[in-house]
Amino acid sequence: MSRRRLLAALAVAVGTAVLLPQAAVAHGLVGREDLPIPKWLFGWAATVVLVVSFVGLAVLWPKPRLEQPSERRVVSIPKLLDPVCGAIGVAIFGLVVYAGFAGSQVTATNIAPTFVFVFFWVGIPVLSVIFGDVFKAFNPWRAIARGVAAIASRVRPLPEPMPYPAGLGRWPAAAGILAFAWFELVYPGRGDPSNHAVVALAYAAVQLVGMSLYGVSAWNRNGDAFGVYFGLFARISPLRWERGALHRRMPLSGLTSLDAVPGTVALLSTMIGTTSFDGFSNGPVWGELAPRMTDSLRNIGFSQATALELAFTIGLIVVVSLVAGLYRLGVTGMRNASNIDLSTEQLAARFAHTLVPIAFAYVVAHYFSLLVVQGQALFYLVSDPLGTGADVFGTAQTTIDYTWISATAIWYVQVAALVLGHVAGLVLAHDRALVTFKDTRAATRSQYWMLAVMIAFTSLGLWLLSAANS
Amino acid sequence: MSGPPIAHAGHWLVNLLYLVPLLVVIGMLAITSMRDRRAEAAEGAGAPAPDPPSSDEP
Repeated sequence: MSRRRLLAALAVAVGTAVLLPQAAVAHGLVGREDLPIPKWLFGWAATVVLVVSFVGLAVLWPKPRLEQPSERRVVSIPKLLDPVCGAIGVAIFGLVVYAGFAGSQVTATNIAPTFVFVFFWVGIPVLSVIFGDVFKAFNPWRAIARGVAAIASRVRPLPEPMPYPAGLGRWPAAAGILAFAWFELVYPGRGDPSNHAVVALAYAAVQLVGMSLYGVSAWNRNGDAFGVYFGLFARISPLRWERGALHRRMPLSGLTSLDAVPGTVALLSTMIGTTSFDGFSNGPVWGELAPRMTDSLRNIGFSQATALELAFTIGLIVVVSLVAGLYRLGVTGMRNASNIDLSTEQLAARFAHTLVPIAFAYVVAHYFSLLVVQGQALFYLVSDPLGTGADVFGTAQTTIDYTWISATAIWYVQVAALVLGHVAGLVLAHDRALVTFKDTRAATRSQYWMLAVMIAFTSLGLWLLSAANS
Repeated sequence: MSGPPIAHAGHWLVNLLYLVPLLVVIGMLAITSMRDRRAEAAEGAGAPAPDPPSSDEP
């Protein structure tokens, strides 16, 4: 791309971004968050940031830096820590399941729904990006399977597990995340604590069967939906844990060694798509569309409740498919632009890791407010997990402070997460292009389409946020 | 039931503003790609022709 032309386009974009807010404020278009510029202008500014990043990478990043990651051992860790963490994970799992069955069936007073939807679903991804794959150590299903295997192998030698089917890849994980998202976003009984306990037990049973068939490690890498989900986010982290040691590495570099087995792109599309649908289903477009779909489904014989569930299920699947289609479109464009001797599927797999920071950006952008506001409920719920009036740690009387962070601050965090996530995606794509295409020029040209995909995802994310908050 | 989409034209127009940067960038990239290809084709046409086979070859 001609640098002069790009600079001219950037100058126009920046000029527009600087001039238009004044007009916007003059017309009183200030959001509820008390923003200095209208929300759509953040989308324009984010695009400028991405284009500048793209140009910067083309000029200043001529050689791959992340593809051959080096890491340094930081500290040795006692081997006992792994079983101890596993035991803690099993205890927490047991407490949540017990609370779900035996505790109050009011959503807000039972620890199960808040623990699952806030700490587990949103908090662990954040912890994984900061501290590495901490979930692996606390994974209760892995701990139970390893414990049982250790005891059983003392009684008699255990048979070798079956080889994990190569074609199955991460499809079970994709199906698991889609099923959980359906439970969270569609199922009407999602607030019922006992349903959380049932789902947790059912999930654990599937994991134990999978691990007994294919081995703990193989199933954990491919089939355990949450293990894979948190593990993908942990690859962003500068820390990598292994039994006996903690290693330090360059952030994002863990993603380049991701083996994009079958189902990986589907899993990542599901991760982004389900979060997108969560935002979309809170916006005015879905607000107009859902009743029409529900009416149509009722007209062909479904009850109101079933029609509503079906409408949301269709919406969820359509949005996941759209996200997958958008990525596929970008990869197809990249292939056509570069005339490379790889199929679209191969190229999609090769660049799949670039979607991980985007998926994380979507998680932060959509659930940050949930984490920082509803997450406070855990302070009183740990003291009274069953909602029976107990006060184990003396924190049962604490309440949620809705004012400690303003709506404006939340919006800025959301925008920053989206922009940083997509810039990280661009960096990874550029780095991978340098080792995939014949020279820097071909690599840069191949990434025109990925730039368009990143801008599309950023604009989509910001539109969903603004629609959900409107 | 809500009215037809035209009743919310203001909302739809604001929504479309999110699409503008994407369309601008796609247009810009399409033009740049086309010009790059033309420049490459011109470079290819201007390149020296390969040497003819020497007469002592069998």
